[in-house]
Amino acid sequence: MASLDDKTIEKLEKKAKKQSPWSIARRKLLKNKLAIISLSFLILVTVLAYLAPFIAPYDPNFVDIMNRNNPPGDGYLLGTDNAGRDILTLLLYGARTSLTIGFICMFAVVGIAIVIGSISGFYGGWVDAVLMRFTDFVMNFPFLVFIIVLASIFREAGIGALIVVISILSWTGAARVVRSKTLAEKENEYVMAAVSIGGTPFKVIRKHLLPNVMTTIIVQATLLLAVMIVIETALSFIGFGVPSGTPSWGNMMSEARNPNVIRTQWWIWIPPALAITFTILSINFIGEGIKDAFNPKSLK
Amino acid sequence: MSNQEALLEINSLHTGFEIEGKTYHAVKDVSFDVKPKEVVCVVGESGCGKSVMSLSIMNLLPKHNGKIDKGEILYKGRNLVNLNDKEMNKIRGKDISMIFQEPMTALNPVLTIGFQMDEVLINHTSMKREEIRKKSISLLKQVGISRGEQIVHEYPHQLSGGMRQRVMIAMAIACQPQLLIADEPTTALDVTVQAQILELITKIQDEVGMAVLLITHDLGVVAEMADRVVVMYAGQVVEESDVDRIFYDAQHPYTKALLTSIPRMEEEREVLNTISGIVPSLKNMPKVGCRFVDRCPDAMPECSKVDPQLGETEKGHSVRCLLYDASHPGKKTEVR
Repeated sequence: MASLDDKTIEKLEKKAKKQSPWSIARRKLLKNKLAIISLSFLILVTVLAYLAPFIAPYDPNFVDIMNRNNPPGDGYLLGTDNAGRDILTLLLYGARTSLTIGFICMFAVVGIAIVIGSISGFYGGWVDAVLMRFTDFVMNFPFLVFIIVLASIFREAGIGALIVVISILSWTGAARVVRSKTLAEKENEYVMAAVSIGGTPFKVIRKHLLPNVMTTIIVQATLLLAVMIVIETALSFIGFGVPSGTPSWGNMMSEARNPNVIRTQWWIWIPPALAITFTILSINFIGEGIKDAFNPKSLK
Repeated sequence: MSNQEALLEINSLHTGFEIEGKTYHAVKDVSFDVKPKEVVCVVGESGCGKSVMSLSIMNLLPKHNGKIDKGEILYKGRNLVNLNDKEMNKIRGKDISMIFQEPMTALNPVLTIGFQMDEVLINHTSMKREEIRKKSISLLKQVGISRGEQIVHEYPHQLSGGMRQRVMIAMAIACQPQLLIADEPTTALDVTVQAQILELITKIQDEVGMAVLLITHDLGVVAEMADRVVVMYAGQVVEESDVDRIFYDAQHPYTKALLTSIPRMEEEREVLNTISGIVPSLKNMPKVGCRFVDRCPDAMPECSKVDPQLGETEKGHSVRCLLYDASHPGKKTEVR
């Protein structure tokens, strides 16, 4: 066997030290080109969205009454809408609204799902039965009808109410995933071992079960972010989402309900449509990438 | 407390599982005791209720269907059966601790060794974090892991099976427990490592001065470790005595059969001795009579009609068999 020089040994030792499941997953993720490109795109969109007040060419409420429905060019890079507002400005501010709603809803949904799913899975028995029947109950709400009713009642409350309504109706699927993963994990002997050294149920869930369920939760959360943005867009499109004064991608798309706009004024709806498509696509690629990275069987 | 008083006393323990509304007893009427600093081995085939018995002591039975129906488990005179979870948590890991069969699965794969070891001390002491870490490293040294400082930063998958079992032992002795329950601690390890681990348990037992309740199906382990032996069959204690009498003067047909199934160096044989048949499952357990009757070479007609009772045949030697029951006609004449 060839003798190893000091440098190689040092390298190997360094590599051996970085053996935590997280660092392994990170290394795998960094090798996944599609996921990295998608991640860069998402970060770019996010940064642009939150810098909108500084980089947008116009004020989002600035109305140029003389230049309505202008095609791109001539002072307005992407043209103007039928109220004479700058499309590029709306796109940037809309990104901020859509992403904010998406992120907040995602965190709320994941939070509820973790609490309900892990308690249900860990305790089992009647606790599980009660919580899961409650989950079924919420899951079977007619989502659209319910949201339209609530959105009409809390019309004045604006985005906050929308976030709450979406969150309390969307956690069910994720909670079930967390529960089933917890059920599978708690059969492992290390859970019993953790109890046998005097761990309280709360501690065992938090310190032992959640880190093992975390990989699934992260993948779920990523995919949920995409779903949340889609829900916001869809609701705004049919006019029950973000109040019409606030720019959002869904609100911009809702202009396209007019057949005339679809046929002749492509610059009004193509930009938000592309923005939505590419953002959702990149989030999904990131989700798939994370899933692969955490999967010990994937060879990438 | 005098040295002869029992540290752990199990009286008529019945542990059952509820399946489809019926209760099936995996442990039925088990009684024995463990004295301080003593090694008691519980032996029996798979499915004899050994593990359920040990989980009952720690109150770790599956919550949804496992239950202690009757009997008491006295630890220093305190009945563990009646304790609630909060009181039990103070005992688990501190006074009584446990080593599991599979060191591969008994450590959490996503947490470092150090994190998991520290947890025992965090649960039961008010020491500072740095002191706890120091103590964890010194515990690792005590169980023969010299690179403790590095190991605490590593993950379970970076260690061998023997190393992991050493870590488990280090965790179990962190609070200097009075009683260590080891549920087949060497089954998953290869033979040379087995010997090392058993040696380690003996050494630690001396240092800490704890009693060990060792659950095993390996009579080789029993011969090496035990002071006293409890033989279990189908949820019952069938024989209990000190280790020498079990090996040289076994009385219950089941114990005898177990002993003859050990392969011996000096014999040359094609086929190993086995006990024919299997342990009856919980659902097929005979309702009356001896539970070993179908497999017993000495079975008599009465055996399937009368429940044999555990009785002393001589001081410190009890057997559950009609052959040794003076009140029955089938009693063996040559019994001393």
